[in-house]
Amino acid sequence: MAKAKRLPRLLLVDDEERILSALRRSLRREGYEIRTARSVPEALAVLDSEEIDLILSDHMMPGMTGLELLAEAKRRQPGAARLLISGWSQAVAESELEALGIRCLIAKPWEDAALKQQLREALAWSAAGTEARHTFGSRAR
Amino acid sequence: MDWNSQSSRIVVLRDAADGRRSEALEILSGRGGGAVIDLVSDLASCRARCASVAVDLLVLESGLRPIAGEPIEALAAIGPPLVVLLREADAAGALEVTRRGASDCVQVGIDAEGRLPLVVQEQARHGQRDRAHEAAERRIVELEDYTENIIQHMNSALVVVNAEGAITQANATAEEVLGAAAGSLLGGLVDDWFDPEGGEPSLIARTLDEGVSWKGEETVVRRSDGALVPVGISCAPMTNREGQRSGAVAIFQDLTEVKQLELQVLQSEKMASIGKLAAGVAHEINNPTGFIHANLHQMNEYLTDLRGVWKLTAELSSTVTRGDFAAAQSVAGELEALSRELDIDFVYSDFAKAVQESREGSERIRHIVQDLRDFSYRDSGERVDADINECVDSTASIVWTMMKHSVVLEKEYGELPEICCYPMQLKQVFMNLLVNAYQSIEARAKETEPGTIWVRTRIAEGGVEIEIEDTGEGISPENLGRIFDPFFTTKEVGVGTGLGLSTSYSIVERHAGQISVTSEVGRGTCFRVWLPERAPAPEPADG
Repeated sequence: MAKAKRLPRLLLVDDEERILSALRRSLRREGYEIRTARSVPEALAVLDSEEIDLILSDHMMPGMTGLELLAEAKRRQPGAARLLISGWSQAVAESELEALGIRCLIAKPWEDAALKQQLREALAWSAAGTEARHTFGSRAR
Repeated sequence: MDWNSQSSRIVVLRDAADGRRSEALEILSGRGGGAVIDLVSDLASCRARCASVAVDLLVLESGLRPIAGEPIEALAAIGPPLVVLLREADAAGALEVTRRGASDCVQVGIDAEGRLPLVVQEQARHGQRDRAHEAAERRIVELEDYTENIIQHMNSALVVVNAEGAITQANATAEEVLGAAAGSLLGGLVDDWFDPEGGEPSLIARTLDEGVSWKGEETVVRRSDGALVPVGISCAPMTNREGQRSGAVAIFQDLTEVKQLELQVLQSEKMASIGKLAAGVAHEINNPTGFIHANLHQMNEYLTDLRGVWKLTAELSSTVTRGDFAAAQSVAGELEALSRELDIDFVYSDFAKAVQESREGSERIRHIVQDLRDFSYRDSGERVDADINECVDSTASIVWTMMKHSVVLEKEYGELPEICCYPMQLKQVFMNLLVNAYQSIEARAKETEPGTIWVRTRIAEGGVEIEIEDTGEGISPENLGRIFDPFFTTKEVGVGTGLGLSTSYSIVERHAGQISVTSEVGRGTCFRVWLPERAPAPEPADG
């Protein structure tokens, strides 16, 4: 394939600007291209404009929850890995996460090293998934 | 003649041994009427008769001779009046008869025919009167015992005071509540107990002065051990036959335990509310903690970067000092390369930014914790002057943490005078109302529009009014009348205790205020709390 290998592109969504700022800081040297959105409409606009490899969203946001956003993201960009991060102490039901194919629920406050590890794994998994789909697609052809 | 119309009961005692007919029986029964006459022939039967029925009169036919060996004093001592029939031979004995205890005598053959009925009638009347008198006396003693029993054993403390305010009666419970030794209250001034501060006249003193009554008022007494005890008191004036105020009667109950229970309910209801808030608060604390935590980690990495740069800078400085310019040039090259690699300008500026953001975050946490701590305080138990806007606002800022994702909060605070109140209790009322407003917005059918809660304060009729209005689901008319009832809840099990609004109601009542509600299903609910600027003095029960 002639397509130039680009950096993995992450979309970080949180209504709290300081969280986005801290995440950006943590991931500065991880070799990602980072997009941020402070609301669900902003995030959907990003999803419509470019290909995203991983979306990490806060849960409690005005208007729509992170879960609802990720459900929408699954429709718009099924290939992107989906992760939920939340400071809400009420646990989100496992079944809901599974139904949306969400890899994991990260609790705030998060551990930096663990977060980086989870992002790497999620990207590797979704990349493998994408390749598998491609392989499957070419074989079917 | 109507002497026997009341069915007098007469016992005639005669000496059966002399074999004569009973003259008394003949004379008296000849009169007809309803007198019941018993004939007996010995003292024992006479006593037995008197013991078993109410006998009005004894008539002795056998003169002054001893009856079966006993003197007539023994007969007179039985009780009913005694009339003795004297034979001619006993004529001289008329004086002797009364001396020996009989009430009267009649001479057989001289005046017996005419007089005996009259004497019997009169004496029977005496007998009846005496018996009535005795019964009345017995009844009075019984009544006294009965009343005393009630007074001593009633569960309430009772004191009676005279017009001068001195205690004339006090029961055991009163002694117990006041911690006074048995009998020690009598004669003492009631205000030594009820007006320990010597301040405003006690409720009892006002009853004595103004003739007003009190019903279930709360006041404080000082026990003999110096402790102040809250009591609920009812008090009424007493007047004598001339209509003058002669004193007052008061019953009161120790409210210590009631007060403690009230506080416990209040505190546990507050804790339940705080539980509801906990999830929201945790979220609110976790956000700043999240970015502070991440920032600290990153700042540590920045520090490592800067340490590397600093090391080269120090080396550069030392080569320059040594005058080794070749080495200096080489180190300068390394320094530049490293700075570029690490993007050291960015590190510097972002380090500063991370510090600044983290400080803001920790400030936010400090605020939340402070608010929570303020909120979970118990009142000292005394009213203080407080700024109601501050009470409403600090409560709103706590509740805001849980509702900010789905609610727009509109604050319209008016200029308010300070209110003499229990601020923590009022905050609890505001919190209940705000949490209810939030939950009722959450309970609406899923809507994209956020709900709105208006919090308004204003001056109103000698006090202040706090209004909390929401655009929630509303309350149905059939539930609207019950929302202040204890344990009434429409929320799911575990969501509401059903005590929130009833607690709020009693808190507002304690402040002599009012709480009211208007609601429309599908449109929203509006709670209004009115509080007087000064808690009024208690109102007499009879206006």
